Amino acid sequence: MASDTVMTRAPAAAQATGSEPVRPLLEAADLVKHFPIKSGLLGRSNAVVRAVDGVTFSLYPGETLGIVGESGCGKSTTARVLMNLIKPDSGNVLLNGRAPGTPELSLKAFRSQVQMVFQDSYASLNPRLTVEDSIAYGPTVHGVSGTDAVRRARRLLDRVGLDPRRFAGRYPHELSGGQRQRVNIARALALEPKVIILDEAVSALDKSVEAQVLNLLLDLKEEIGLTYIFISHDLEVVRFIANRVMVMYLGRVAEIGPTDALYTGGRHPYTTALLGSMLSMDPDERTMEAPLAGDPPNPIDPPSGCRFHTRCSFAESVCSAKTPALTVSGTGHFTACHMVDPGSGHSKAAA
Amino acid sequence: MNTMSDPILDIRGLTVTFGGGPKPVRALDGVDLALGRGEVIALLGESGSGKSVTLRSILRLHPPKRSRIEGSIKVEGIDVTSLEGRALESFRGKTVSMVFQEPMLAMDPVYTVGQQITEAVRNHEKISAADARARALEMLTLVRIPSPERRLAAYPHEMSGGMRQRAMIALALASKPHILLADEPTTALDATVQVQILLLLRELQRELGLSMIFVTHDISVAVEVADRIAVMYAGRIVETGTVRDVIRTPRHPYTIGLLSTRAHGGRLEGHRLPAIPGSPPDLANLPPGCAFAPRCAIAADACRASVPEPVDLGGGHRVRCFRTAETVNKVAALAPAVTS
Repeated sequence: MASDTVMTRAPAAAQATGSEPVRPLLEAADLVKHFPIKSGLLGRSNAVVRAVDGVTFSLYPGETLGIVGESGCGKSTTARVLMNLIKPDSGNVLLNGRAPGTPELSLKAFRSQVQMVFQDSYASLNPRLTVEDSIAYGPTVHGVSGTDAVRRARRLLDRVGLDPRRFAGRYPHELSGGQRQRVNIARALALEPKVIILDEAVSALDKSVEAQVLNLLLDLKEEIGLTYIFISHDLEVVRFIANRVMVMYLGRVAEIGPTDALYTGGRHPYTTALLGSMLSMDPDERTMEAPLAGDPPNPIDPPSGCRFHTRCSFAESVCSAKTPALTVSGTGHFTACHMVDPGSGHSKAAA
Repeated sequence: MNTMSDPILDIRGLTVTFGGGPKPVRALDGVDLALGRGEVIALLGESGSGKSVTLRSILRLHPPKRSRIEGSIKVEGIDVTSLEGRALESFRGKTVSMVFQEPMLAMDPVYTVGQQITEAVRNHEKISAADARARALEMLTLVRIPSPERRLAAYPHEMSGGMRQRAMIALALASKPHILLADEPTTALDATVQVQILLLLRELQRELGLSMIFVTHDISVAVEVADRIAVMYAGRIVETGTVRDVIRTPRHPYTIGLLSTRAHGGRLEGHRLPAIPGSPPDLANLPPGCAFAPRCAIAADACRASVPEPVDLGGGHRVRCFRTAETVNKVAALAPAVTS
């Protein structure tokens, strides 16, 4: 039943040009994850970090969904909950309509279809395994014979642009950051997944190397028909790679929509401010005024109602009283702002 | 901006080699850099290009036992490389001060922000504790920290990332330095906070007439703050010029590559980013010629044989490349696409 509400909420599949609604590949329904803060001698918890607080979205086959937001907005926690690396307090994740960890979709089968690449290319590889062994490890666990797994690892190394004759026997410390991230991508591909979650996967790379890895990701996506969730703080890179973008603020979805619509006509004041913080690259068009003052508030004790109301120049009393729901604001475009919701009581909302 | 006749900081032929490892690493190789009074230069480069090593050399922060420093660094006519003892202590902080990337690591966690600023002031000036405290308050006000009296008593961990970086800037400016060195001061910050800190630094630089070197890996940050940009690659400055010259008419193939490599605007279906092939060189095994030659599309035999000397293109635009005749027309095609 949760899946139905998700379907009706986000029917405009990214590039679904046809009339038939596309079935989502991966769905997140009302995910909540709070982390208790333990303090004092007895380790009592007296506060919680509301890292993810009611996040709902769908991922459609073949698209790249970008997730952007500032530190503490919950984008990485969302990724970890999606991957089942941490259990949500409530809400659920569905792959093709089935929940992982149930008889109809074991966790192992789920993980072979959803893989993840992390920011720290070094920490995510076992330093005592050669890169070939690291890539072959997953397939052997999933029942592929040793020789076949190694053959697959070599083919993947070649595919991500690392000559297996030179690189197969190397250890992670013998590679550059860009090469290591290619190994991590090859490893993520080893189980032939459908979805890859990239959590700041290119953020630690130098710009000249980042472009190579972005191109590789695009090539792989087209060839293998992958679906990506691309999490990044780099708004330029997300604009380049994503079909749809989800903007998060303090554990909630502020806005989600097609990349162009969002970047050229974002409806949430936070989206506008965040995108307004992108620098122009034009010495004659320098930024003269910061779009927002101060830092994002602490997710331990987030503001009531719309969490952005403390920094929003359009905030009215309704904003601190009531949490705005995601409301249609365009084709496949949803915004959680009282100004977009007719009848919310905000003076800028259509009555 | 025509202050080059009397630069406040003049670096000539700076070469820094680090020992200690299996092979000596040449982190800087013949860096020449002149900073005019009231000028802001951005040192732009990727990891390992030598931008932070250059900054640290100016403050003499490299461990003397494991590093060999050649060439000269002159600040207001004084040879920095020969400073010792009290003179060096006074130089650090009073003449030249620095803002680091991670204020949480640069500040002392067991003292309040007020105590740290007060201590810095009293190290350099003979003033009473009360006066030093007044200065600390003045500094926090200067960097636009809300309710500064209350913040004087705050510990670094009690502040948000943006506030901490403001406090770090206050600390660096408390002893009224003439030159401010900033090492990726906004890299660890969120986008909406980064803009605030960049604007603050730009305003303070103008108000106080500071001369500034700003290290960054992000071209768009350099464009926001700098008068001139110096692009570094493998320990050498490969291109310098005004921000406009470097951004609009880059002439070194590496700069051209960096600018075209940036994801900018939306992507058309099937479109790929122009990417510089390969990866930055190993500083312990630099090629004999131009360090960029192995990745350069237009490298010739000469490029692999010897290191190019700077070529002056006029207006202070200098490029270390043998092939500048080939790069002159690369520009129009590379100008970032205008997106509205």
